[in-house]
Amino acid sequence: MDETADNRDTTAALDAPAAEHGDAGPTDAALVARVREGDDPAFEELFNRHRRRVALVAGRFFRQRERIEEIVQESFTKAFFALPEFSNQREASFAAWVARIAFNTCYDELRRDKRRPESPLSEVSEEEAAWLAEQLADETAGSDIEASATAKDLAGKLLSRLSAEDRLLLVMLDVEGMSVSEIAASTKWSASKVKVRAHRARASLRRVLARFL
Amino acid sequence: MAGTQRQRGLTDERLDQLGRVLVRASAADHAEAEAVASSPFLYARLRARINAEAERREAGESWRVLLGVFWRSAPAMALVAAFAFLLFWTATSPATLTPGVLSDEAFLGTPDAGFEHVVFAERNPLSNDEVLATILDDEEREASR
Repeated sequence: MDETADNRDTTAALDAPAAEHGDAGPTDAALVARVREGDDPAFEELFNRHRRRVALVAGRFFRQRERIEEIVQESFTKAFFALPEFSNQREASFAAWVARIAFNTCYDELRRDKRRPESPLSEVSEEEAAWLAEQLADETAGSDIEASATAKDLAGKLLSRLSAEDRLLLVMLDVEGMSVSEIAASTKWSASKVKVRAHRARASLRRVLARFL
Repeated sequence: MAGTQRQRGLTDERLDQLGRVLVRASAADHAEAEAVASSPFLYARLRARINAEAERREAGESWRVLLGVFWRSAPAMALVAAFAFLLFWTATSPATLTPGVLSDEAFLGTPDAGFEHVVFAERNPLSNDEVLATILDDEEREASR
């Protein structure tokens, strides 16, 4: 529970620069209105405010710099052409709107990944399997292993075995600390579908991990 | 039985706990994301991409406009084609054709009695010099009389 709260703090901290900009200069809504009138520097200002947040969303799913940059560019390109559809009243904020676009772009990229053949790099080595079995057997092992390089590599390999939907949901729940209603708003799924999918995602991850018991 | 279920419950709980840790571990590395976010030419590359996308959409849009024009003109073209076919059909139908319509008489006209029709079959028309020479010859002939 505390970990989720920490994640919420991290997310809030990531949005903090945008809020600071909002206090100092024109609001995001004002900048959006200027972009609609053809003011390119206003879009650059919006980009500079939210680029870090979008890069961090992409970094939740991908670790290679090229892929993160691809997601950032794709997300802002989609946002630029979808600006006429953006409504400040309907959306919570421009930051939430652009983050939703970033999540959807990551989701599309994950789905494309699943269609590609499995890379040999995604195979779990014997050492990693032994490490995982040890962690599973050790009741006291906890969040302290998050920072270890083995955990990061292994997590990437194990999560690549999940479906795009499962991975998206687990990251939104466990990393972003989003609620069911927030996920439903972001993915345009119903709340009940989010709950069912979250249950299935946890079961899928358990099955993947259980192979190493 | 209850013991096995309890054991299984504990295992699921442990798996969920480790699963959460691994999911967070996979997303914990911010170094690459920070590096991308602070890249100095990121906006220039994004702008180039937006321009390329805008050109692509414009090209797609012009094709759509052409297709729309064709789609709207298709009924009119079909109507004209149908009208032309009807005209051709009525003109060539046996009921409207009179005998000898396509004969030489139809082309040259029916000769009236008492009049002589001259048909110039010469392909090359007379030149001005030839006409002048003919007139001068006629005048010389008149003068010599």
